[in-house]
Amino acid sequence: MTEQKYKFLSTPRRPVEDRRFVAGRGKFIADFDRPNMLHVAPLASHYAAAAINGIDASAALAMPGVVDVITGAELAAAVQPLMNGLNTPNVRRFPLAVDRVRYAGEWVCAVVAESRALAEDALEKIIVDATPQPFILDAETALLDTSAPVHPEHGSNLLLDRKFVWGPVDDDFDAAAYSLSFSVTWGRNSTVPIETFGVLAEWNGWDQMLDIWASIQMPKYADQIARSLDLPGNAIRVHYDVDVGGSYGVKRGIKHSVLVGYIARKLGCPVRLIEDRLENMRAGDAHGPERKFDITIAFDQDGTVRSMKMRALDNAGAYAGRAPFQLGKPISAIVGPYQINSVAYHALSVTTNKTVQEAVRGFGQAPTNYAIETAMDRVAEYLGMDRLALRQKNLIRKDQFPYLIPSGSYYDSGDYHAVIDKVLTAADYPAMLAERDRLRDAGMMAGIGIAACLEPSGGNSSFEPLLNQSNQTSTWMESCQVNIDALGMVTARIHTTSSGQGHETLVSTILGEVMQIDPELIRITRPNSLESLPGNSPVGSRMAIMLGGAAARAGEKLKAKIMAIAVHRLGVAIDQLRYEGGDVLANDGRRFTWDEMVELAHRQYHNLPDGMDPGLASFDIMQVPTGDALPVDHKVQMYPCYSFEFHLLLVSFDPIIGRPDIHSYVIGHDCGTVINPAIVSGMTYGGIAHGIGAALFEEFAYDTNGQLLTQSFLDYLMPSSHEVPAIQIVKHCTPSPHTVFGQKGSGESGYLGAPAAVSGAINDAVSGLGIHFEKLPIRMSTISDAIAAKTS
Amino acid sequence: MKPVRFDYKRPTTIEEACGLLASDDNARILAGGQSLIPMLSMRLSRPSLLIDIAHIPELTAFVETETHIEIGTMVRQAVAQKSKLVKTHIPLLAKALGHVGHPPTRARGTVGGSVAHADPSAEIALVAATLGAEITYRVDGADEIFDASNFFIGPMLTIAPPTGCLTQLSFAKAPAVCGTGFHEVAPRKSDYALASAAAQINFAAGSGVTSIHLGIGSVGDFPERLDVDQLCGTPLDDAAIADAIHAAMQVVETVEDLHATAAYRKRVATELAIRALRDARDEISKDLNQ
Ligand SMILES: Cc1cc2nc3c(=O)[nH]c(=O)nc-3n(C[C@H](O)[C@H](O)[C@H](O)COP(=O)(O)OP(=O)(O)OC[C@H]3O[C@@H](n4cnc5c(N)ncnc54)[C@H](O)[C@@H]3O)c2cc1C
Repeated sequence: MTEQKYKFLSTPRRPVEDRRFVAGRGKFIADFDRPNMLHVAPLASHYAAAAINGIDASAALAMPGVVDVITGAELAAAVQPLMNGLNTPNVRRFPLAVDRVRYAGEWVCAVVAESRALAEDALEKIIVDATPQPFILDAETALLDTSAPVHPEHGSNLLLDRKFVWGPVDDDFDAAAYSLSFSVTWGRNSTVPIETFGVLAEWNGWDQMLDIWASIQMPKYADQIARSLDLPGNAIRVHYDVDVGGSYGVKRGIKHSVLVGYIARKLGCPVRLIEDRLENMRAGDAHGPERKFDITIAFDQDGTVRSMKMRALDNAGAYAGRAPFQLGKPISAIVGPYQINSVAYHALSVTTNKTVQEAVRGFGQAPTNYAIETAMDRVAEYLGMDRLALRQKNLIRKDQFPYLIPSGSYYDSGDYHAVIDKVLTAADYPAMLAERDRLRDAGMMAGIGIAACLEPSGGNSSFEPLLNQSNQTSTWMESCQVNIDALGMVTARIHTTSSGQGHETLVSTILGEVMQIDPELIRITRPNSLESLPGNSPVGSRMAIMLGGAAARAGEKLKAKIMAIAVHRLGVAIDQLRYEGGDVLANDGRRFTWDEMVELAHRQYHNLPDGMDPGLASFDIMQVPTGDALPVDHKVQMYPCYSFEFHLLLVSFDPIIGRPDIHSYVIGHDCGTVINPAIVSGMTYGGIAHGIGAALFEEFAYDTNGQLLTQSFLDYLMPSSHEVPAIQIVKHCTPSPHTVFGQKGSGESGYLGAPAAVSGAINDAVSGLGIHFEKLPIRMSTISDAIAAKTS
Repeated sequence: MKPVRFDYKRPTTIEEACGLLASDDNARILAGGQSLIPMLSMRLSRPSLLIDIAHIPELTAFVETETHIEIGTMVRQAVAQKSKLVKTHIPLLAKALGHVGHPPTRARGTVGGSVAHADPSAEIALVAATLGAEITYRVDGADEIFDASNFFIGPMLTIAPPTGCLTQLSFAKAPAVCGTGFHEVAPRKSDYALASAAAQINFAAGSGVTSIHLGIGSVGDFPERLDVDQLCGTPLDDAAIADAIHAAMQVVETVEDLHATAAYRKRVATELAIRALRDARDEISKDLNQ
């Protein structure tokens, strides 16, 4: 279709990062070592809630190799509380518990020692005098007036309680022939990277500089450290040349970083804290959304879905952080890919005595997609209508773009029907149906899962001002610098760490395309934060759009300079010139070569156009496309680009064993123009695997004492290659009108629809028995028990 | 997740190992380390001395006698899995070994370590209990032999002498005509099972079925044998098998955890026991029809 359009873009090229990773030459936080480095081990609370009466660390301090023991009281006196996303100043959070602990595993104090093992030995000697207190685990319970607040100073457990009505909801409900209600719950899970979070801090008093190396993926990380430590912003130097071993949102160890930053300054030694698996799981403060949806949906006999009321209640855990915003992103795609005329949305976030939440792949979109897709299945079931036909009827049509949804965002582009048709063909849908029926005849439970959903991408965090009026954010810029050196080689700088997204490939490919130079010859570097231009790190599926956009624009600026030099040198008008592979060709056949141009720019000022600066460097700080306004009437354009995905799969299981076996999995994916096909496919495969985990296996489950039951991979089950089937990706390309090459985001692809699709397949399999599974993950025991209850 | 400080010794004879065991009340044997090392890291196990028995040649021996196959405790699970002796003479163990963990854990984990560790869902322990294998411990210079069918008494709990060193497992050779079946169910391939079942039917020309061994694992505190002796001498039809197993399962107590309810474990163990026994029966029918 667009085969010859690009030279490097959209072509199968090996990601440049692969070389060092495959050869084991990545440099991760644990590879960073400094002379005289000290190690930190935090003491975890046994209680889900308790008052701390006193901490006796004298025996620990007396042990050889132990340097210090830091308590919450000491820290609270010395640092500012960690940032909250919402306006909740009395939900104060410090790296260590102050006066009381609010979840099991919370850090009570921290030992600093010459080795991590010695620090752990010392932890056993610390005596904490604590009085257990009542605790709350359930979000609905937390809402009750009778429940004691997790933060008494805050007055209640409510962090967020916002009601939105977009469009004529009451009228649409009145006009609709039917309505139905149901509830579904998204279990508490997360992305759990193989590499846990780690940070190393080193204070240099003579330079007044705090150097930080961290396994981090976090917007405005350096700023937040500076604020908490009361240091000037330019006294924090975050090194971006640390490879991050997986993240998808969760690598935001701000509490760890403030803690080691404080210790490094206090002791004047390099200090490192790397979470072990237990700390990562229970106190890394990196759990994802745990969300209950109550949905009422209004529709007609012919399947037209008119309106939806959604109440979403999120269990944020013990502190606020940024987590409640995960109820905000889904507002930008609150109707999914469907023409739903109006929506009422009630977003609630509450504190409980569970581990703190952090951003997770999709920032709340995957749970919402699961709720919307369950609604579509329920409506079809109610009407006795085919689930696929119901979706096709309600999907936004190709000719309706740009399409304004009730909550204020325009969807940029898409052709949902075409993607679905391609998938049905690729999957041989009639054969899939026949196979399902054959399996059923053979005594198996078999079902087909269908999910259609969107990936909002590249946004400017407009959920911040929408949910918090004191926040006036209307940019979420990203930047790139490019330099051509005196030998004619191109180097680009990017200002963030990467956790597997392939930003070096992204930037070199795009710059190569713009400048028409082999991307292999372009060097990408990651300076530290003080040598960087502003950026917001790789979140919200934004880097192809924003970093790619900034790289392209910086490249175009250089090209413009080259053309201006050529005009001057060749003495002809610009319309007589053509840029080709680095050289400039004149219509009269003369060629101004790259090497000559470099020579002029770097050495022959006298041959440059009047007033032109020497050298060949450019930079670009890019504003989010479409993201220039604050919310009006509780509506806002949140994301410029909307990728589409359609999942189709066949599942079967034995009615007694209940272990789902995924036979075939086909996904149709349209993320506009693809920059690097291998990276997009990799994202999608991994996203589906992650989604299968959310649907069937992964949960941070608590017992009735508030203890986390799944503290290691023994119990927190992630799908392995045995549980993830072969996946067929069917590609489609509807370019975005808002980006340099028509690219959209793909960093959350697969994950956004897979949980809905897998749940749909299992529910289809048991539909004949009148069973609905209404909570993820759907464990095999739950399946078997439900069937046994119906059939015995 | 750093172990408590410990000493480490690497004896080369059983006697030396036993001497070290006797020298320190808080000593522990280290075999393949696939269970012990994680427990050390979590500080659930806090030995002062680790005795690594990987360098004692006698403990990796395979011995075939007229009636038995003796497997040294340090034989790696992966080695046992590939062994011709096991395949030929202990077909039930051969079937079970593929379910024990993953290729990397089987490369280090040992046959004896699994039995000594006594995880309620250990496949090797289930097979040993089902077949009544002999478990030999060296204690105070003498061998003590235990019958695997009543060796396991709780989760990670056996009647083994605390200062003994397991040296070998001995399995009776399966008769020329015999059938086996092994089934287990786990959330993911090779997870610790939520329920498992092992069956072996021994057959002799002329006298027919001579014995039926059936056991279930993972559902209670330890692997258990199910008594279905009444099936000997019957045609072993599906209905009779199901009836016998349902009856035997009535007294079995099952446990509940995050991953499965007690009812699930009971229902599924029953089903797996039925399937395992049927598989065993069908193998014999196939053999006899050839
Ligand atoms: C990821 C993973 C998955 C696993 N899955 C399974 C599974 O599905 N099924 C299963 O059964 N197991 C599983 N295991 C456990 C594995 O099979 C272990 O190898 C086994 O349980 C213990 O054997 P080991 O040789 O590693 O013993 P070690 O870990 O070295 O020792 C275990 C215990 O036995 C004691 N011990 C060992 N040898 C002797 C001896 N000769 N005399 C006295 N005491 C002794 C030790 O002191 C220790 O207390 C898994 C392990 C891992 C890491």
